[in-house]
Amino acid sequence: MHLRPRHVRTRLTLWYLGVLSGVLALYIGSTLAFLSLSQRRELDRRLHAEFETVEDLLVAAPDGVIRMGGHGDEESGRLVEVWSADGGLLYGSEALHGETLGGPAPSRVPMKESLDSVMLADKTPLRVLSRAHQVAGRDLVVRVALSEERQRHEWRELMLGLLFGLPLAIAIAGLGGHWLAQRVLRPLDRMAKHAERLTAENLGERLPVENRDDELGHLARVFNLSLARIEGSFAQLRRFTADASHELRTPLTAIRTVGEVALQDPQNPDRYREAIGSMLEEVDRLSRLVGSLLVLSRADAVPALRRQDLCLIDLVKNAASLLEVLADEKGQRIEVHGDPGVTAEVDALILRQALINLIDNAIKYSPPDGLIRIDVERDETSAAAIAVSDQGPGIPQADRSRVFERFYRIDEARSREDGGAGLGLSIALWAVQAHGGRIDVQSQEGAGSTFRIVLPETSGRPAG
Amino acid sequence: MAEDYVRISSGWQPRAPAYYWRTVQILIVEDEAKVAQALKEGLEREGYEVTLASTGEEGYYLLGARTFDLVVLDLMLPGRTGLEILGTLRARDRAIPVLILTARDAVEDRVAGLDTGADDYLVKPFAFSELAARIRALLRRGRTEQVSRLRVSDLELDVPARRVRRGDRDVELTTREFDLLEYLLQNRGRVVSREMLARDVWKETDRATPIDNVIDVHIARLRRKIDDAFDSKLIHTVRGVGFIVREGSA
Repeated sequence: MHLRPRHVRTRLTLWYLGVLSGVLALYIGSTLAFLSLSQRRELDRRLHAEFETVEDLLVAAPDGVIRMGGHGDEESGRLVEVWSADGGLLYGSEALHGETLGGPAPSRVPMKESLDSVMLADKTPLRVLSRAHQVAGRDLVVRVALSEERQRHEWRELMLGLLFGLPLAIAIAGLGGHWLAQRVLRPLDRMAKHAERLTAENLGERLPVENRDDELGHLARVFNLSLARIEGSFAQLRRFTADASHELRTPLTAIRTVGEVALQDPQNPDRYREAIGSMLEEVDRLSRLVGSLLVLSRADAVPALRRQDLCLIDLVKNAASLLEVLADEKGQRIEVHGDPGVTAEVDALILRQALINLIDNAIKYSPPDGLIRIDVERDETSAAAIAVSDQGPGIPQADRSRVFERFYRIDEARSREDGGAGLGLSIALWAVQAHGGRIDVQSQEGAGSTFRIVLPETSGRPAG
Repeated sequence: MAEDYVRISSGWQPRAPAYYWRTVQILIVEDEAKVAQALKEGLEREGYEVTLASTGEEGYYLLGARTFDLVVLDLMLPGRTGLEILGTLRARDRAIPVLILTARDAVEDRVAGLDTGADDYLVKPFAFSELAARIRALLRRGRTEQVSRLRVSDLELDVPARRVRRGDRDVELTTREFDLLEYLLQNRGRVVSREMLARDVWKETDRATPIDNVIDVHIARLRRKIDDAFDSKLIHTVRGVGFIVREGSA
């Protein structure tokens, strides 16, 4: 089972404690190792000094007995043994109380010196230096030992001190770490609480940014930006819903009124026929409106484009030829200019929809005998561009950014007469954006407008 | 008979479509009572015998118990959904033509319907005239009709030569105008909706386009060429529904 603490601050603290414990353990370990090494070195150095003293003090009595001169061993704490080459014990310190220093059998001691650690029966740890020595021409093995008890004791005390201190240090560090983590994360908590309170109603509120430059401030700013976008979409949605209901209500009212009024005129088949026809016209308008809304609602999900490498001018000509009769009726001309070499990977059906809507608009708003000019070109940035220019009244500056909004009409009365619901440009924009492109509007009041579709060159291949 | 026309392969076909010895049986599975009743009346007027089923279960039962020549199936039904019925029907390997009705204009829906074995689909709200036309087309299926000459009153279309005569005068038509007139004449005596024209003559799938205006302009031009110089008008507008070609007033 995998245990995972719920809070980031707990996780942070635990991580921190883990690392800290590791570091402390390493530190304690190396301190103890270093201490024991330097103690041993110091002891060995002393042992050598004692050995030299002992060498000077050893004398052989005329009877062949080896004896120790000077003050004896007790004072310096050293223990001495002298062995004959054939393995007989010739001398031993009194402090040994008859025990031997143990260790390797003296006969096998090589002529050069050896250092060993041994332990007496009373658990006193000893360090023993053995070396060959000649006294009065006799080959002897001399062994000098010093107790390691004091060093062991010091080492143990230090170790215990460190080990008992470790949990305390870790506990203090843990508390401190937790406090720090909590302190650092507190703004995050506040942001979360704030975000929790957000609903569709108070989307206008923003998170407090405590420090613009640190990571949390950055987070808050990013969050606020998203909030602003969501608020915008919500507002748009609200407007859209209101507009859509209005647009749906208008034909519904007509149907209802026409139907009711016709019913008040009994037994008049012609009147009925007229009324039903009129109602069906409104139904048709409703169906078309619902159809457009469906196109746009599907547009909100990213459409799967069926892209093909296409000659754009052909696509433009195709769209223009469909609508040519409409221009023709008004005595207008549609001219298509451009380089047949300009191609792009596009979904012909969807992009054509955009073109048809733009050209239809151009025809609607251009005066009789006007000219609608369509230019297909590859612009400096090597993107493909299609510009549809009309000779209409132009779009006031204030309306330019809004003409693509759903149901937006510059002139209510006029476009309604044409049967448009104000969705044509929204659909065009959607179709172009689905290709990763954009539509620019240039307009001069009284001198016409130009809608320019710009398609990225790589529209066929998503980046990366 | 003034409205007769010549069919090379199947010859003259009566207005009430009969399958040689009996009336065509149509099952409509549709839960919306108003729509179902209107469809029943409309199709009965066209000369079919219509049975209604208002739930999926009922439709399923009727399909097992009786023989139908065509099924009109709503995809969204209480109980068994239209797709389930269609699936079981096709599993029994019945070659009955099935026309599905869907209120969801999602491509996946249509694809699912057609994949499951539907022969055609219509998206609600549809024009009744279009439903009638689709049903006729499905019932005709397999029998190719090559019509070489279409005639209404003194208007005559020579289809292979793409020539049009009204009375003793040749009429010059553009390609689109000819296609439009041919379609109207093929459906002579029946109302043709703008949806049908957009789809079958212009091959436009999307009605959000300004195609209706284009259709209206073409109809106006056709009238100018075909009807203006004559007292008896052939192309009539049925308000709110579409157009009809026939002799006399609409």
